[in-house]
Amino acid sequence: MTITICIGSSCHLKGSREVIQILERLVSLNEINDKIEMNGSFCMGECTKGVSVKIDDQIFSLVPSTTEKFFNEEVLPRLA
Amino acid sequence: MLEKNYNINNIKHEVLYEVAKLALNDKLSDADKLPYEMLEGPRPNFRCCVYKEREIISQRIRLAQGKTPVPNKGNKNIVQVISSACEGCPIMRYVVTDNCQKCMSKKCQQSCKFGAISMTKDRAYIDPSLCKECGACASACPYNAIADLMRPCKRSCPVDAISMDENNIVVIDSGKCINCGACIKDCPFGAISDRSFLVDVIKLIKTKTPVYAMVAPAIEGQFGKDITIGVLKDAIKKLGFTDMFEVAIGADIVAASEAEELFEAKSKGNKMTTSCCPAFVNMIKKHYPTVYDCMSTTVSPMTATARLIKAMSPESIVVFIGPCIAKKGEVLDSVTQDSADYALTFEELKVLFEASEIEFDINAEEVQQASIYAKKFGSAGGVTAAVVRALEEKGHDASEYKVRQCNGAAECKKALLILKSGKLPEDLIEGMACEGGCVNGPGSVSVGPMINRNRNELLSKADTRGIYESLESYSEYEFSSHRK
Repeated sequence: MTITICIGSSCHLKGSREVIQILERLVSLNEINDKIEMNGSFCMGECTKGVSVKIDDQIFSLVPSTTEKFFNEEVLPRLA
Repeated sequence: MLEKNYNINNIKHEVLYEVAKLALNDKLSDADKLPYEMLEGPRPNFRCCVYKEREIISQRIRLAQGKTPVPNKGNKNIVQVISSACEGCPIMRYVVTDNCQKCMSKKCQQSCKFGAISMTKDRAYIDPSLCKECGACASACPYNAIADLMRPCKRSCPVDAISMDENNIVVIDSGKCINCGACIKDCPFGAISDRSFLVDVIKLIKTKTPVYAMVAPAIEGQFGKDITIGVLKDAIKKLGFTDMFEVAIGADIVAASEAEELFEAKSKGNKMTTSCCPAFVNMIKKHYPTVYDCMSTTVSPMTATARLIKAMSPESIVVFIGPCIAKKGEVLDSVTQDSADYALTFEELKVLFEASEIEFDINAEEVQQASIYAKKFGSAGGVTAAVVRALEEKGHDASEYKVRQCNGAAECKKALLILKSGKLPEDLIEGMACEGGCVNGPGSVSVGPMINRNRNELLSKADTRGIYESLESYSEYEFSSHRK
């Protein structure tokens, strides 16, 4: 599964790098490194909503503090 | 204002310049007025009508802001088709020209396995519905009368990623595209171009966050024979960057790391490829996945330099500036690698200097941050030369190591094919997708003999410090030189 994180300037300032680091840590804690691929994307055009993160074609708006919730509710169930 | 004699390069440059100016003045919301300001009309300058010209400019403005030329959220590719600019060049690939003598040998007809060639009143005729574009007739004709009109974009693509849609408009298969940018250089109508991080970088240098620039080794010569690394560092700081480093520092790190890897690989009887050219890396990943394990696990000089800067200043944003379009893709693919956060081209840097009205101060203090071997990474053969030098510095007998320098995508493909078959006689493949190396990259300000002369003159002034000697200057910072 691929998780795409927006690295546009607006998302960067809202913490996209931190979101990536949190996701990386969670991926490795759950030992699912071989199932998850993470990459960046140019601005997704959702600048007002927070750090934009995409799985398949669905865009989620995160901040660092909601990243773990997102991982538990959106990433893990998709792998089951 | 765009004028009649403008060509593709001027137009791309002008659009980037106007967008950069708007971004610098916080007026990007005015971007939709730009096509009307740049082309007042009503008469067209270079296309059939001003409306088409304005649509092309609009699509280019979107690219300059990092968007796809037409709204398409699913398309992540760096290299994008400007559909309004595509002329849908003649799709009939082989065409019989006036040179046809309607000879009696009829070698074209005999060579065609598909019965596509018949004789008309004054020349041979190829039936497009039967022609399979094999090219046998063109090579068989004793008068060279059959022209190969392969579309320039398709001809330029080393990995066959280009096809046409039902309207003959070019389509890039992002599953195959390696972001080398060859089609961008070769489309005569400028219908293919790359997305830009320029606006993101402008917005970030205006914040309080430290933003560092790092320049690829190919930069020396791009801005003239007097524009040394010291002059560039001064000018780049005037743009608002916190500081500037040479990516050649990372190249020293890579040369030392790959030399160690090569020593180990050879002692085990394994082959190895370099990993610094992102288009070459994409070529291996997408087209020769079975040899992926042979690829060096050392990061690219870009990532190595970014890790060094982040070791010095953990909260900083790092912007790579180079001649390369594929590096933009490397940035997106390596968000978990502590690599550069953004990548710009030299062309985009030039735009930034102009839009910010920065003049070079040729009296700026001189600096050299890396060895001459690392500074030559950007020329074909430069990477292996540095790796061999690093082996020598470590006291190994470098003559035992055979290297294969692949200059351009075609040579890369050939070498990877031989490697895949297990018959490669050499120990190390240096892969560079651009002919001549990074110095001829599609994101350059300019290429050619003049640039090479400038470059040689600048490089001749570098001191002779060794690779390991250069690394000592940064030994207090700890970070890995391998992929995570």
